[in-house]
Amino acid sequence: MTLFAGEEALDKAMRKFMRARPRHAAPVSHDFPLISNLEAWLNIALIKQYHENMPVEASRNMVLGLLRNLGLEKIAEKRNPALGEEERFYVMLLRAAMVERAAIVIDRPFKMLPQLKNFHAVLMALKTIDGLYASCDIYDYDWMKDKYGALCR
Amino acid sequence: MSIPEKIGNYISGRIQALARMIFFAVKVFRRVMTPATYNSATRTVLINQIYFTSVQILPVFLLVSAVVGSLFIGVVFQALKNLGLVSLLGNVLMGLIVTELSPFFTVLLITLRSGAAINAEIAAMQVNREIKALEVFRIDIIDYLLAPRVVNGIISVVLLSFLFSIVLMTSGILFSRVIFGISTDVYVNILLNSTNFSDIVVALLKCAAFGFFITLIPIYSGLQATHELTSIPIVVSRGMVRVFAAILVIEVLSLLIRLL
Amino acid sequence: MPISREYKVGVFVIGTAATILLALLFLAAQKGFFQTSHTYTLSCRTGDGLAVGMPVVFSGFDIGRVHSLELDDKGAVLIKIRVPDKHAKWIRQDSFFVLYRPLIGAARIVVNTDHLESPPLAEDKIAEVYVVNDINDAIEKIQPLLETIERLSRRIDSMAAKTDEQVFGREGTLPQLNKILKDAAGKLEKLETTVDNLNKISKDAAEGTQDLGALRADIDEVAQTLNKVSRDIDALLYKQKKPEIKLP
Repeated sequence: MTLFAGEEALDKAMRKFMRARPRHAAPVSHDFPLISNLEAWLNIALIKQYHENMPVEASRNMVLGLLRNLGLEKIAEKRNPALGEEERFYVMLLRAAMVERAAIVIDRPFKMLPQLKNFHAVLMALKTIDGLYASCDIYDYDWMKDKYGALCR
Repeated sequence: MSIPEKIGNYISGRIQALARMIFFAVKVFRRVMTPATYNSATRTVLINQIYFTSVQILPVFLLVSAVVGSLFIGVVFQALKNLGLVSLLGNVLMGLIVTELSPFFTVLLITLRSGAAINAEIAAMQVNREIKALEVFRIDIIDYLLAPRVVNGIISVVLLSFLFSIVLMTSGILFSRVIFGISTDVYVNILLNSTNFSDIVVALLKCAAFGFFITLIPIYSGLQATHELTSIPIVVSRGMVRVFAAILVIEVLSLLIRLL
Repeated sequence: MPISREYKVGVFVIGTAATILLALLFLAAQKGFFQTSHTYTLSCRTGDGLAVGMPVVFSGFDIGRVHSLELDDKGAVLIKIRVPDKHAKWIRQDSFFVLYRPLIGAARIVVNTDHLESPPLAEDKIAEVYVVNDINDAIEKIQPLLETIERLSRRIDSMAAKTDEQVFGREGTLPQLNKILKDAAGKLEKLETTVDNLNKISKDAAEGTQDLGALRADIDEVAQTLNKVSRDIDALLYKQKKPEIKLP
């Protein structure tokens, strides 16, 4: 969890993070949206299919299993515009987790989930998939500190 | 800036843009020819592209080929009969229909249906920063977006063009019987006599070139979109104009090759 | 169960590719790509219009192709034609070969065989090729016509010159016509005087006719008087003797 004084500092840190981990950086960011003409499951499976040449059927089954664990199997066939904010966020999180030894960085989660009251739900999701990634960082502004509760203390 | 300077700038800008596109085309062609390009993701895209470009339009394509082709073949046969050039029937069938009309008709249909769609799709992806998202996840744009679409273009134009030729040849049996009273055996013999494998090879290469460029140019144009929504129609129209120019250039080049 | 997209695409690609491949194989087979062939050598005094790949035609059907062209030691063109086995039967010893160059369409070597029962042409024999050229034929046909037109043109020119001389020359028709017209004008003037005289005569005649009328009236009167005298004499004579009728 890293907090920044302003947008410029945050963006700079984000770029630095990406440069430092060219093969493993896995951003979850409003700036890197899902691919609109792919279904939710394919957005997630794409990373495995492309980098590990995972067969379509196997990758699909794996992704459906992960969505089921998050209680989101019903959104598997939906495309980006049809997803709710929370659903979109979790799909982006799972996509990031697909990167080999993923170094996930969540960029301003409350920008993507303005309705979210506290960060507990996101933490729970991260815990559910914790076997899939190597590390997870959260970047946000100083003034959002309260929303993270115990995570910042 | 003086007028000659403006003209010079304009021409040099055009040449540079053309050089960039040719360089890009060479890069894409090399990637298309590299087996490592084809992974599970690109194969999925390729299957989807072939499905949308060829399989989905197949019934309409066959119907249109039968109607347009029959009309065309009827008019040409009637003209040959009126001019007393019945002996050139085979040459017209093979030289005009298989090597010229079929590829041109097919490429026109696919450009109108898929070329414009690909252009708009890529431009929208660029505006939505989806291209950037792919890059962030180290998914190569040429491998993932271009190669499958370009390969689909080549496969679709070649296969559909030959299907169009077969439909036309078949309707030719009917018309040759009605207009000239020629039996099927004689018709087949006329076709065989007028067939040159070199013509078929040129037609094949032309179809492949058409397929390559009618997908490459829209993607290239689409990638030139900015992050503003208004840039989408601009790059789409620019891309389509370039595609039609490329079709004409390929057509002229193929004619020159056949003449030489 | 719905058919998957992959399955549809697979069927389309394999089906279409197989159709095309079969069509090409059929074409190749029909064109004799998989057949053994005979090679015959022909000779021609000129290579003009000859090309490798040119069709060899028998009764309007392609039976082979020109395979190669070369010059022999005497400067004649040697044409090697390749004919598939199944068509070799059309080429016999008495076959003659014609290089036909039509005005429209591709040139071809036409094989004519009068006696199909004659022995087959040996591959080591060299047959001669005759040239029939539509363009030359057309020029040959047009040449006499052009010459006739030229002759006619010359004749028309000389006729025109003669006509000029005859019509406009010193002794031509027009000056003479002028002379005749002048004469005619003079004569017409004289005729006018004559007509005036005639008119005068006519007038005099009319007056004369009036005198004649008076004269006639006098004569009529005299005649009537004479008639009366005659009747009186007849009456006197009747009274003096009765008439006698004497039959012969």
